[in-house]
Amino acid sequence: MATRLQFENSCEVGVFSKLTNAYCLVAIGGSENFYSAFESELADVIPVVKTSISGTRIIGRLCAGNKNGLLVPHNTTDQELQHLRNSLPDQVVVQRIDEKLSALGNCIACNDHVALTHTDLDKETEEIITDVLGVEVFRQTIAGNILVGSYCAFSNRGGLVHPHTSVEDLDELSTLLQVPLVAGTINRGSEVIAAGMTVNDWTAFCGSDTTATELSVIESVFKLREAQPTAIVDEMRKSLIDSYV
Amino acid sequence: MPRKPTGHSSRLLPVRPLTFSPFARSVARVATAYMVKHHARDAMQHSAGDEFKKLKKVERQSESSEDEEFDGVVQADFAFFDPKPDDFHGLKTLLQSYLDNKEWDLSGFVNLILEQTTVGTVVKLEDDEENGVFSIITALNLERYKDHKCITELKEFLLSICLEKDKIGNLRSLLGDKAHDVGLLVSQRVVNLPPELLPHLYDALFDEIAWATEDEPTEELRNSFWFKFYIVVSKIYKHKNASQKRSSSTDEGDAFIYVKPEEEILHKLSMWSFLFPLQTQQVAAHELKNYQLNGIVMAVKAEDISSFRQQLHTLINES
Repeated sequence: MATRLQFENSCEVGVFSKLTNAYCLVAIGGSENFYSAFESELADVIPVVKTSISGTRIIGRLCAGNKNGLLVPHNTTDQELQHLRNSLPDQVVVQRIDEKLSALGNCIACNDHVALTHTDLDKETEEIITDVLGVEVFRQTIAGNILVGSYCAFSNRGGLVHPHTSVEDLDELSTLLQVPLVAGTINRGSEVIAAGMTVNDWTAFCGSDTTATELSVIESVFKLREAQPTAIVDEMRKSLIDSYV
Repeated sequence: MPRKPTGHSSRLLPVRPLTFSPFARSVARVATAYMVKHHARDAMQHSAGDEFKKLKKVERQSESSEDEEFDGVVQADFAFFDPKPDDFHGLKTLLQSYLDNKEWDLSGFVNLILEQTTVGTVVKLEDDEENGVFSIITALNLERYKDHKCITELKEFLLSICLEKDKIGNLRSLLGDKAHDVGLLVSQRVVNLPPELLPHLYDALFDEIAWATEDEPTEELRNSFWFKFYIVVSKIYKHKNASQKRSSSTDEGDAFIYVKPEEEILHKLSMWSFLFPLQTQQVAAHELKNYQLNGIVMAVKAEDISSFRQQLHTLINES
């Protein structure tokens, strides 16, 4: 299910939050409404952690992560790092990396298997991404933009990319990522997809300016319509062999 | 003087905020010296369907001056348009701090302004692909839109921040039983918009209101534009020591500095007004370090508007 919400009159939900299959990070400040919107959807399933990164609230754009790990920029304070390590599940590795492109959320887009990165990322950073996040890394551009983390959002089930992405690029990316992709907008025509929304395998949060059309595109490409955490298993049940007669 | 055709550049001259008080005027004079020529073109088009209401060509030529960071001519053609749905994001950005930091239905408010195409003007650059909105002016009838969430929230906000006991009764009546005659005057712009546009902008608004009272399809709509009062919500700088006796030194400056020049006139003409403290942090420029940014709510009688228009023309044309 896709939910519409706002952070303090701003519809850029993906800037102030980071959602993965194993945890959810939310910025401090803002009203309790923002936090409780996440809590009500996710409370029983994954931890919702309030945090800041480097004293700022733009955590969604500064960090990158998936169910295996979380990468934070070099200017994250020790207290913040400790807080994250304490609050997140044990299997999630939190790593602070020294990368001059410190807005990791803008430079890296990933799901649990594949990551797309900024073309100028350090080789060392690429190796850390492969180790910590357990993904295959591809350096790509999206519609000519090098900030891949800003202009696309994808989960293990589907992805939404910049509206001006050509059909060839769309096919190429779809092959790399192995998920269906669609070019579209968020928040009533905004091209900065990842700033306007955040998504995991069963739920998505979009800015409140998102039109009904945009929302239905999101629900269909990310396959959120009947999605519950257990639905994934139910779907697979038919193909699971229970017993041989 | 030969003019170089530099094409349409959306970069405007970085002028210091033009605030209107003798103190600020001298600051502005020292900072940059420029010559302004303007040509008013075309008569105003009457019908509501037309996009172009007035074209103003403003050219700024910079003389050599002390803080020159660039040289050459920046040519900007501003055009007045009816509000269109495409202007949503630009308008939303301009109106972001309209009600200080209150969380309210800003998108709904912007939609209201965009839907009212008969009264309301948006200032943009001609032929600008980025569709940047530089200024908005409109008047919304409080009774007509009273069922919209944004208007209810706005009324609640105004009533909650009015701390002056003697004004709250007036405010309540304007927002309540007199709402049918009250127009919310919304006027917002980028800081460095050339002030030469202002008299024309306000003329455009009040002329449209007059035309709407004749042209609107239903009688109810026609009547909704017979405003008797206007409410203005804005921000001004108040001198921090204004309540104390001013010393004889003339460097103390004025009690108020107006971010928008026309508000000085409106404030003088207003029936009543009150200030309210702002919760958002403000960054103070050096010249304004003795001043505190406050919100202000003013109520102006519609009868005083023609005097306001005249005074605005004089104010802008003499500076």
